[in-house]
Amino acid sequence: MSEDVYTLEAKDGIRCTWQNWPSNKVTATRNVIPICLVYTPLKEIENIALVEYEPIACSRCKSVLNPHVAIDFVSKAWGCPFCMTRNSFPSHYKAHISETTLPAELMAQYTTMEYILPPVVALPPVFVFVVDTCCDTEELSYLKSSLQQSLSILPAEALIGFITFGKNVYAYNLGWTENTRCYAFRGDKKYELPQIKDLLGLIGNDPRSVQTGARRFLMPASECELALNNIIEDLSKDAWPVPQGSRPLRCVGNALNIAVSLMELAYTRHGGRIMLFAGGAASFGPGMIVGDKLVDSIRTQSDIKNDNAKYLKPAIQFYQGISERAANNGHAIDIFCCAIDQIGLLEMRSLSEKTGGYLVLTDTFKSDVFRLSLQKIFSRDDTGALRMGFNSTIQAFTSPDIKINGAIGPGIGVKKKNPFVSEVEIGMGGTNHWQIGSIDNQTTLSFHLDIVNQEPQAKRTHAFVQFQTKYQHSGGRSRLRVTTVKYPVVETANIAKFISGFDQETAAVIMARWAVSKSETEETIDVIRWIDRTLIRLVKKFGEYQQEMPHTFRLCREFGLYPQFMFHMRRSQFLQTFNVSPDESAYYRTMLVRENVTNSLLMIQPALLQYSFESPHPTPVLLDIASLKNNVILLLDTFFTVLIWHGDLIVKWKKLGYQEQEEYENFRELLKLPVADAQSILVERFPVPRLIETDCGKGAERLLKAKVNPSGMGAGNATVESGNYFTEDVSMKTFMDRLIEYAVKA
Amino acid sequence: MFLVNWFYGALGYLGLYQKNAKLVFLGLDNAGKSTLLQMLKDDRMAQLEPTVHPQSEELVMGSIRFRTFDLGGHEIARKIWKDYLGSVDGIVFMVDSSDRERFELSRNELNELLSMEELQNVPFIILGNKIDLTDAASEEELRNALGLDTYGYYGKDLKSQPGVRPIELFMCSVARRTGYAEGFRWLSQFLK
Repeated sequence: MSEDVYTLEAKDGIRCTWQNWPSNKVTATRNVIPICLVYTPLKEIENIALVEYEPIACSRCKSVLNPHVAIDFVSKAWGCPFCMTRNSFPSHYKAHISETTLPAELMAQYTTMEYILPPVVALPPVFVFVVDTCCDTEELSYLKSSLQQSLSILPAEALIGFITFGKNVYAYNLGWTENTRCYAFRGDKKYELPQIKDLLGLIGNDPRSVQTGARRFLMPASECELALNNIIEDLSKDAWPVPQGSRPLRCVGNALNIAVSLMELAYTRHGGRIMLFAGGAASFGPGMIVGDKLVDSIRTQSDIKNDNAKYLKPAIQFYQGISERAANNGHAIDIFCCAIDQIGLLEMRSLSEKTGGYLVLTDTFKSDVFRLSLQKIFSRDDTGALRMGFNSTIQAFTSPDIKINGAIGPGIGVKKKNPFVSEVEIGMGGTNHWQIGSIDNQTTLSFHLDIVNQEPQAKRTHAFVQFQTKYQHSGGRSRLRVTTVKYPVVETANIAKFISGFDQETAAVIMARWAVSKSETEETIDVIRWIDRTLIRLVKKFGEYQQEMPHTFRLCREFGLYPQFMFHMRRSQFLQTFNVSPDESAYYRTMLVRENVTNSLLMIQPALLQYSFESPHPTPVLLDIASLKNNVILLLDTFFTVLIWHGDLIVKWKKLGYQEQEEYENFRELLKLPVADAQSILVERFPVPRLIETDCGKGAERLLKAKVNPSGMGAGNATVESGNYFTEDVSMKTFMDRLIEYAVKA
Repeated sequence: MFLVNWFYGALGYLGLYQKNAKLVFLGLDNAGKSTLLQMLKDDRMAQLEPTVHPQSEELVMGSIRFRTFDLGGHEIARKIWKDYLGSVDGIVFMVDSSDRERFELSRNELNELLSMEELQNVPFIILGNKIDLTDAASEEELRNALGLDTYGYYGKDLKSQPGVRPIELFMCSVARRTGYAEGFRWLSQFLK
């Protein structure tokens, strides 16, 4: 894999499993790993061309003019690489265009560019806070102060709504500063849209008059800040008594229903997000995941497996219904679950998945993971705009021999039959058009492509793909991001070209995404077997070996890391469920399928850095138990957690207080270095990871010990330099030996 | 069939075959509760990472349900296991016998459990885990450190001692697969 892969990613936000594409279906199938693009539509791109005019589209397929089209300067026309239609340029282009005078969209460097579209009116984004008031007083006070802080950093023009829930739902009228007025809804009642409209006192059928009526619930931040601050200040624990042996009654489902309905009534297809702050399990009304009696405990992995979770299916169905409504209206739903026990994220995950909403899971509202993540959501870019886009749609266009199987990632597919769409569906398939309520510079989708050409000979030298992402910029204007990429098509026999163009990092990530998507419907063990089979086929095809002679087996550099990624994927929390709650499983899986290649890879195989006196800079070391040495400090980054670990000798020196003595300044510096690096990760990343500092032998080191490869161990146990370490997990060596054994088999 | 046989095999080994009970593993984090749970489930030793929801792992073998809770964490966590304890039939309290710094904390947690009204009639086994480690405490040291003698000596010989609360300490090593089965067999005497 060449450096070009990273250059292309920086320029277009796109990576592909193969840099050279096969010319026909048979070769594509034999290459084992499919053609798959991992695309970050709103990636921050340096010097991106940002223009304020409408794009020129192909008259037939609506693909947009781009640097890869063939131009006839004599007759002033261009050929669409997707549908082969010949288009003449519009008159104002005809007047100026020549080999030396090109509009931005035809310049070679602007394979990705952005159009600011009319109309000029800017729509302010809408934020509806949906707040759980059943938490205990302490938790509620942390939540309140975080909410007040967000309020102070929101754009003044943004429209704000405020809804709370306990046993009932309360929608607040923000037009009153003197005293609080709110509209109550019963937590256990099923409300339909027209009924909610009536109860909120909204009249009229045209959006304008509904919006006017809804103004008391959704008001510009600048106008309601005072009232809202008072409301939050006065917010107290839900008044409904909680008897001994019972849970508080939380009607999470109905609260979301009211919020989604309010947005649907007043601001359909107008950017907005509903932000759910949940401090405990949904225990009342539609969408409840557990009863209110404490003796009924929240479903566990074994309950689910044994079909012993009676609320599971109806709750999933309920939240999916809510998610689809929000997704279709162009809105996003964020979930902040801050509780020591599960809240029902497993049932609710579609809210975030189908709408692209944020997801943050931690144990308390006090934690930095929650607090700082929420602040980060409202941070601004250099132009003062929020770093998020709303109400977005993504459309994909492909060359004639290539069809789209589907996309894996946040959003929903809008079913469409057209020449770009394959019969075979993977993920959100049957379409080339997807909708995501909220999208930011991290949001990433993977697109599976199918080579449909049956002919063995390459007819075309290149294949093309275009993505058009239309979204509401946080400044209020509508924008269109267009990325057009081309890949060389190579002959079937040219295996060296395929090998040199293999991007194993992207391959590992799309397999992981695919595996997670499969695990929704298939047993985990079957998914793991499928990963194994794919891996065996891949190394059988691209490894060098003599049949039945394992010692002759070699894997070239381009494929060398792939087996290791799969080793870690198999034992990760994405596929293993023991000691991982159903909510956590849902969380990790949802997070994996929305991140870019680098971040997803970090989740699959965490990074391990070593700090020691041997080198002034941190050095990457193997994710292996042998790396846990006495005289080093390690920094483990799993994406979700950043852990700093001190080896035994370092701990002893710390206890002796060397870091406070002048002559050991270098030791003091050594201790500081990983902390500073961890801080910079915390600043960069969303959601903000949990930071743990621990010593050799302390309980928290278990995270590190669980992630490393148990090298050098047989079935027995051993004591390693870093103290006790017992595991009967398979080591990477054993895994590789078995893999090679299978690969060389005749 | 293999799985089923293993389950009943394991239950027989632990003396829990044909028992119907809800058992709870309690102890500080890193005592080895999840590891023991995995050992019971798969007969396999693994390194497990601490999780956000440590209490949500449940093992069901035959008619026995096992569940683990971390103690000594923050107060909110305490509420969760307190809520759950109303209906338990036995407590397995685990202590890392090499973690001397936290014996005091374990002792306090244990004292609190033993003084809870709803647990008055519930048998306790205390597992002093990790005896394979070189710096592990002896049975006597741990017994003193946890203040077990103040509750009277019940005895491992299973002869009922009228008036003495069923609490007993068993030293074990989950990693070496020794010691805990004796504890469970002792506990099984008190289960229906």
